Amino acid sequence: MSERAKQRAKVTFEGVSKSFDQRGGILDVLEDIDLTVADGEFVCLLGPSGCGKSTLLNIVGGFERPTAGRVTIDGVEVEGPDARRVFVFQEYGIFPWASAWDNIALGLRHLPRSEREEIVQRTIDMVGLSGFESAYPMELSGGMKQRVEVARALAVSPDVIYMDEPFGALDSLTRLTMRSEIIRIWQQERNTILFVTHDVDESIQIADRIVVFTPRPGRVAEIVEVGLEHPRDLGSPEYGEIKNRLYELLGVRHVI
Amino acid sequence: MSAWAPLFAVVGALTFLFTRRTSDRARAVTYPIGVTLFGLAGWQLACELVRAEVFPTPFDVLAASAELIESQRLWGDIVASLYRVTWGFFLAAGVGIPLGLVVGWSTRSFLAFNPVIQGLRPVSPIAWIPIAILWFGIGDLAGIFLIFLSSFFPITVGTMAAVRNISLVHQRSAMNFGLKGIEVFRRVVLPAALPQIITSLRIALGVAWLVIVAAEMVGMDSGLGYLINDARNMGSRYDLVVATMVVIGLIGIVLDMMIRKLERFDEVRWGYVER
Ligand SMILES: Nc1ncnc2c1ncn2[C@@H]1O[C@H](COP(=O)(O)OP(=O)(O)OP(=O)(O)O)[C@@H](O)[C@H]1O
Ligand SMILES: [Mg+2]
Repeated sequence: MSERAKQRAKVTFEGVSKSFDQRGGILDVLEDIDLTVADGEFVCLLGPSGCGKSTLLNIVGGFERPTAGRVTIDGVEVEGPDARRVFVFQEYGIFPWASAWDNIALGLRHLPRSEREEIVQRTIDMVGLSGFESAYPMELSGGMKQRVEVARALAVSPDVIYMDEPFGALDSLTRLTMRSEIIRIWQQERNTILFVTHDVDESIQIADRIVVFTPRPGRVAEIVEVGLEHPRDLGSPEYGEIKNRLYELLGVRHVI
Repeated sequence: MSAWAPLFAVVGALTFLFTRRTSDRARAVTYPIGVTLFGLAGWQLACELVRAEVFPTPFDVLAASAELIESQRLWGDIVASLYRVTWGFFLAAGVGIPLGLVVGWSTRSFLAFNPVIQGLRPVSPIAWIPIAILWFGIGDLAGIFLIFLSSFFPITVGTMAAVRNISLVHQRSAMNFGLKGIEVFRRVVLPAALPQIITSLRIALGVAWLVIVAAEMVGMDSGLGYLINDARNMGSRYDLVVATMVVIGLIGIVLDMMIRKLERFDEVRWGYVER
């Protein structure tokens, strides 16, 4: 913690609550969320389905307004979507009517052509999609589509990336590959990443810190420090300890 | 009894039998031919059983078609019909697509225009014929106006619905990457709606081709619809009537095939496979 205290705060949630008007009353989804994410930190938001993880991400992403409290990035309150901070959506957010190349170039419209082409090509190589520049999303596999989505976000060199279960729809093998690639890219670029998941293992494999939520209305149950170096040894006793702790917090007994 | 009906039936059956094991592509051609031959057999048989003098057999229609082609008149009428449909259809697309995009995208204009559009839409274009003639007289303008009306509503409503169905994720992607104003239309609204716009164009052209024939039968002095009416009036030439119907059907198929080509473009293909 002491080391993080030295780092600059990037994203802060101050008393964020969110309720939705639903048929037959008001649904409290998030309650009094306080959280500070440091610059360049990789934070996982972990919690049971329906606890408000996507809602929280939509709030920090500027798509929804909190009912109470505020979210600031670099000290400035978030009031709407911002091209410097990009979303990787839970369902496919890339455009099916555009080629992989055009999708990835979406955020680079204002750059001169040569610069734009250089960045797109570099990003395509980074996510391992070389050779598929002109393919349309329907011609790509699920994993490749998700790579395009990640590349579209990375291309604009965002200072914060929001990922809402980006690998949820992928098979377990592809998911593993994508995880290690996202870690590799993050180590290279050092963006701040807020990553929503309800997969316990996924969160321990990738995060610096794991924010565990209670069931709805979502509150912060505990923030778990992972403190393991990448690449992580999934068989280490520390890993097992963290895993047990997370299962405990989530109210699921971990039977071995 | 002639041998024609059984002959048609036998050839039809053989068509099925011999192409049973060929590729789907080949069968896509031969099977419809087989079905048509069976239809011809039934038609021929019915004519022979009923012995109604006025109703033409397939061969009468064949002869009438030759007569039509020789008479030179057919081409003029085809051109007249296609001219009205082309103008009316393109005008409707030119107005309907932009209007549908704007009304679908902006909640305010949707609130204002949608009820009006929905109120006018159920009125059959045929019901407009008297007004079309009143305004434009007998002639091309009235026809173009009617085709405009009959294409305008499917196109506008289809475009509107397509825009209102744009997925939230895609809208948010546009917002997230800072797309504004005309860029949103060019990069998201229009391409997202395009597959459904093409479908509505297809429906509109089909309706237009139906309506033009009806309009020409009632209120015009040229075109394929007028040709049908004329053939009946000059001595009950039902062979010419049916021959013209065949021509109308064939042109309808060609028009549909032409517009379906639009569905092949890479930018819209995603809209026709499973989503
Ligand atoms: N726009 C909305 N209007 C009304 N209720 C909503 C809205 N968005 C979300 N909710 C409700 O808020 C709750 C939390 O939803 P949210 O999508 O944030 O959950 P989540 O934690 O992301 O779940 P999952 O892990 O299943 O994705 C749900 O009960 C949902 O019904
Ligand atoms: Mg969610």
